[in-house]
Amino acid sequence: MSEDRSARVNEVDAADGGAMATATRHALEALAAADWLRAVVLASVAVALALGVTAVLIAISGKNPLVAYAAMVRGAVGSIDRIAFALNKSTPYILGGVGVALCFRARVINIGAEGQIAVGGIAATWVALNIAASSGAIVIPAAIVAAALGGAGWAAFAATIRLTRGVHEVLCTLLLNFVGLLLVSEALHGPMGEPGAGFPQSPLFKRPAWLPHLLAGTDLHIGILIAVFAIVACHLLLWRTTFGFRLRVLGASPAAAAYAGVSFPRCAFAVMALAGGLAGIAGGIEVLGVHYRLIEGFSLGFGFNAVAVALLASINPIAVLPAGLFLGFLEAGALAMQREVGVPSSLVFVIQGLTMVFVLCAIGIGIRQQRV
Amino acid sequence: MLEMRGIHKRYGPVHANRNIDLTVPLGKIVGLLGENGSGKSTLMKVLFGIVRADAGSITYKGRVLAGHSPRESIAAGIGMIHQHFMLVEAMTVTENIMLGWTRAGRWLRPREIAELIDGASCTYGLDVDPHATVGRLPYGQRQRVEIMKAILRGADLLVLDEPTSNLSPPEAGRLLEAMRRLREQGRSVIFISHKLGEVLDICDDIVVLRDGEVTGRCSAAGATRAELAHMMVGRDVTTPIHRVSRDPGPEILAVTGLLHTDESGVERLREVSFSLQTGEILAVAGVDGNGQADLVDAIAGLQRPDQGRVSLAGRDITRWSVQARLAAGLSYIPVDRSGTSIVPGMTVEDNLALREFNRVPLSRWCRLDRAGFRALAASGIARFGIRAGGPDAPARTLSGGNQQKIVVAREVGRNPRVLLAFQPTWGLDPGATRFVIDQVLALRQAGGAILYISAELDEVLTLGDRIAVMYNGRLSEPVRREETDRTTVGLMMGGFAPT
Repeated sequence: MSEDRSARVNEVDAADGGAMATATRHALEALAAADWLRAVVLASVAVALALGVTAVLIAISGKNPLVAYAAMVRGAVGSIDRIAFALNKSTPYILGGVGVALCFRARVINIGAEGQIAVGGIAATWVALNIAASSGAIVIPAAIVAAALGGAGWAAFAATIRLTRGVHEVLCTLLLNFVGLLLVSEALHGPMGEPGAGFPQSPLFKRPAWLPHLLAGTDLHIGILIAVFAIVACHLLLWRTTFGFRLRVLGASPAAAAYAGVSFPRCAFAVMALAGGLAGIAGGIEVLGVHYRLIEGFSLGFGFNAVAVALLASINPIAVLPAGLFLGFLEAGALAMQREVGVPSSLVFVIQGLTMVFVLCAIGIGIRQQRV
Repeated sequence: MLEMRGIHKRYGPVHANRNIDLTVPLGKIVGLLGENGSGKSTLMKVLFGIVRADAGSITYKGRVLAGHSPRESIAAGIGMIHQHFMLVEAMTVTENIMLGWTRAGRWLRPREIAELIDGASCTYGLDVDPHATVGRLPYGQRQRVEIMKAILRGADLLVLDEPTSNLSPPEAGRLLEAMRRLREQGRSVIFISHKLGEVLDICDDIVVLRDGEVTGRCSAAGATRAELAHMMVGRDVTTPIHRVSRDPGPEILAVTGLLHTDESGVERLREVSFSLQTGEILAVAGVDGNGQADLVDAIAGLQRPDQGRVSLAGRDITRWSVQARLAAGLSYIPVDRSGTSIVPGMTVEDNLALREFNRVPLSRWCRLDRAGFRALAASGIARFGIRAGGPDAPARTLSGGNQQKIVVAREVGRNPRVLLAFQPTWGLDPGATRFVIDQVLALRQAGGAILYISAELDEVLTLGDRIAVMYNGRLSEPVRREETDRTTVGLMMGGFAPT
């Protein structure tokens, strides 16, 4: 009897809904495409507005904004070397940002990338200094894995405080950032410091521990490849695995997650550890690929930028790639602008900050439309 | 007294109101009938000045209202009673009524106001104690405080938006009585509802809306339920419910001595016990907020009871996880669609898979099987007639009825041993309501056991093999449907013990 009825319902639907359903589907597809397009347009408008306002600031400081921006563009993409520099800059932002994006997906507000990067850097340094292997094929993977474990452990520490003691994760991740930074100083003033150097830094790593370069003659190391790989992996994780499904449900509605039997503590712990691991890898790549040693404050500001990247990407893993590149190139360009035109590079923070404000406004406009 | 002409209101591509005319004569009750989303609320928001119409005119007592604010509407003599009350819980009735009422004067004169309240209480049969603290009053009384507020502020036209949906039958009866008194005093009422019986009972004229358009107008005298339902949904839905008598089988779910106290120290469940047999519907009547939510959550595993035991097919599941209960054949339709049983931002297929995404054939190991999702969606959409833009359309683009079809497809489609249905027809139009009820009955026929919780007396009486009433955290002893009647259940919902 029930089948009878549902069959009848279907007939009714088919009769008056067939053509309509097709039309609706086309309309929805167009809308979905438009959604994507809209995100890009909104982000571009936000960036343009930020650049516009900053131009005014540059003009006020007595420089020609057009000249300054030209220098900035040259500085970012003017030569292979500069592109390599910008890509290296982008790598930690991408790795940190994609982890933060996953956390935000599940409504876990992890702002501790900075500390996680710091601890990852310490772990990688320890391996690089203490494993006396002559082959990079052993030292580098070992150091990266150690960095991942270090970052993951640091994030897991914050998650444990959150889940067992109920301290909000914003607080514990933020405060552990300072602890992480101080751990670096502590290590450099103690066991890992270079004897005799007047500077808080570790000894230079031996050659095998240096990240191999992608392009001979430039500084471009393989970090960017790791970052791209991480992006793809996180994208698949979010959309193609049960864990990703859990994160999405959790982020969309905690009540629905409870109803679906998704455990918040387990998911929150796992996603924090994952994000921490990615941030830790970013830290490892910084010490192994850029500085070839641990130096004090090497992760300063990375945590904020990771959050910025995640938000700029509307917490979409794939979009973290362009967002992270954008920030990396912006920073590289700003440094060149400072050198060539004499505009203070602190203006880059102004651009960043303004972009964030405008993007967040744009997200505010579009947030109801977001697909999870 | 009120004339609305050619009201047009568009939200993006959706015509919420299309060329609507509404006339309310002096001293009459006009019923505004329609499904959810038919445009009733929009029309009233236009009237009250909360939203602005794209076209059309409003004349009230000979004055044209255009571009008016809610404040001006109140001043003009229109009173609106929302479903969510605008009362300060910590204050007394008198204080609430004085609040923001400029004519109460600059100096507070609580005694005079209290006398006014007492007077109006008698005139309109509202029975409001001016000295009571609002926070301690039950829902029905708070509603009467709101009505009092509107009347004292000089409202000659009262708009009541779904006023009976949270009332027990005796309270609803009192409200209808108060409305009659208002009419006798020469005031007009617009009564918004989707309950046909009440509308027929009390209104003088009835206006039916569907998809933003007026699909029928008639005087209540001479109209029938079937006609009204037809105007409301556009097709016949009142064919009698087909119910086969069936002997219940062995006990499948046993609940004993559930106790639960919430964080604020309120006892939500007090010694709730019952048992459920296969092929049986146990219908639980009760006004919202009497512990039903805690009961279903305890059985479904969303909340641990402080004490008591739940067993399914002889196994103690009190401490089982939601997933384990699900695997053991326990389905659950929660009351809250937007956010619990449906994730509006996720696609139709994700929503269909919401509770079993981590099991074959929807996933293997940790990898989602998108083909499995697609197949599940295709069969669900076909079998339950879900109207959607496609399996990958976001659930929020679906109507409430179709969203509930997703939930039903997910929870009933898996042929559960026990189904917990918590107000599964809440907020649905008659067509969708009927669909849900038919599915529940089909499940019973197939041998499923159903705990059906509802605030609708009609549903409880038509569906339940046995009927119990939940009041203030206690569940009455279930009785066979033949052994009880409307009045008894209605009284018990209001807290009166059966005699």
